[in-house]
Formats: sequence, structure tokens, C-alpha cells
Amino acid sequence: MLTTDVSPPAALSRRSGAVHVTAAQMGAVGGVLAVVAGAVFDVRPPEAYGLCMACHARDLVNWTLNDLAGTHLTVAPASVVFPVLTTVGVLVGALVGAARSGEFHWRSAENSLRMFVYGALVMMFALLAGGCAIRLLLRTAAGEALGMSGFGGLIAGVTCGTIWLRWRATR
Amino acid sequence: MTAAVATLMIGVILGYLGQRSRMCFIGGVRDFILVRDTYLLKGLFAFGLTAWLSFPLADVLVGTRSGPPGMSDIVTLGLTVAGGFGVGFLSTLANGCPFRQHVLAAQGARSSIAYLGGFMVGAVIFHTAIAPLLFRLLP
Repeated sequence: MLTTDVSPPAALSRRSGAVHVTAAQMGAVGGVLAVVAGAVFDVRPPEAYGLCMACHARDLVNWTLNDLAGTHLTVAPASVVFPVLTTVGVLVGALVGAARSGEFHWRSAENSLRMFVYGALVMMFALLAGGCAIRLLLRTAAGEALGMSGFGGLIAGVTCGTIWLRWRATR
Repeated sequence: MTAAVATLMIGVILGYLGQRSRMCFIGGVRDFILVRDTYLLKGLFAFGLTAWLSFPLADVLVGTRSGPPGMSDIVTLGLTVAGGFGVGFLSTLANGCPFRQHVLAAQGARSSIAYLGGFMVGAVIFHTAIAPLLFRLLP
């Protein structure tokens, strides 16, 4: 499991023309755009809803199902008329980035079922907490006490998960 | 409709930057614990810092901010902390936060595509089964 690329700058593609972006730069742009989405482009209510991979994916899936199958699944007020499309945008943007830098490769999946279960569980826990990692941080930045406690839980979870992975790798 | 177009554009920008920077919102803490690498952690801090500075700025410039978030009861608090813990723990095992999984899926990682399949199914399961059950069980 410990196959993570831990030193990204060294591993970045050096292909000519590939744009180099650091995580700090991406984070800074993301923080501004997440607030702008909520304040300027009406991605609300709820508050601090400008960027969330889990809630926005939920809105898109549930809205589509409601529209096609006539179900009445929960959708955030911001997505009632038409769903937010953050997840689609991220997929398109990352595809463009990967294609332009020659980093797009089909990679085999030997553990698809386990990843499928991880995806389902992460989504459920994220909806329970009211946001994925990004939105918990966004709510923390907005000064919401509930968001801060969720973010605290997230950091504790990552710490425990990392210690668990290290313990299993060195056993 | 404005929100849909805006989030699509913002998603494209962040997806591109996320692919180029390999940004992951849980990887920062993981890398720091494992090898004291702060590359991703800087991204996490940068996001939180700029968002924290942008919220009051947006209030002044746009002048739209609802009142302070409502008080929450102990049950909501417990569920939020438990949810956050679950997201953190399972995302670490899955090797990336939901954002990173979207980027990896767009780079052709079939395991991340399977993850996204589970992600969508999980949303439907949560709202058809788990949320109604919680409403019935909890006060």
C-alpha cells in the first residue's frame, strides 16, 4: 500500500512545455476560487459550499437521478435548479493537464473492488460530516465551529490511517 | 445556471492545477508523518490561509453573508467529528483525498475510476438508506 510518490517535485514530468505548478500555488488559487464561487456565483446555500468534491458529486448524481427516474433524493439548495458541475470540471481540467504533459496512461487496477468500497465509504462519511476534506477546510476557514471539529476529526483520521499503514508495512 | 457554469469553469482550472501540482488534501499530513515532507502540506495551508483571508474580503466587496452559523447540538457535533475521522482514515487507505482521486481517474488510473464509481453509489446509498435510518434512530 505504501506506493505513494512522496517527493512530487522530483517526480514531476520534465517534458518541455509541461507547466510546473506547486501544491502551494494550487492551494492558494483554490482557496480564492472556493470563496469566489460562493460569494460571487451564488453557489449557496449552505454557506462555504463553493468547493466540495463529495457534496457536489452527490448533487450531480442525485439531481440526475431525480430528473431521470423521478426520485426525490436530497440535493443542496444551490443545486436545485441545475446541479453544480465541479466534479466534471475537475475531471476535464485534469485530463487536459495530463494529456498536454504526456502523463495520461491507462493504469491497470488490481484492487478495483477495494477501491470501489473505499469510494462508497468515503462518500458516506463525507456526507455525514457535511463535506470532503476540501469543504471541511473551507468551513474551518469560514470560522464555522462545526466545520473545525470535522476538520479536527479529519486530521485525526489521517494520522491514524498513516500510522496504521506504517505499522502494517513494517510488521 | 450561473452556479453550474461557474463551478464547471472553476473545476476545470483547479483540475488542471491539481494535475500539474499533484495536490492532495490529505496527503500533506500523511507525507509529513511518514517522511517529514512538507510539499503537499504547504498546499493545504495555502488553501486554508487564502480562503480565511478571502471570506471577509468577499463580505466587504460583495456584501453578502448570512448570519453566523446556527448552534449545533451534541449529536450533530459527534456525527461531524466521526464523519471527518472516517474521511481521513479511509482516504489515507485509498491513497488520496476525493479531489486527488478525480485527478488520478482523469490520468487513466483504473483503480481511481472504480473509486469514483463507489463514490457515486455511496451518495445514493447514503440518502436512500443511511440518512433515513439515522433520522429514525437519533433523537
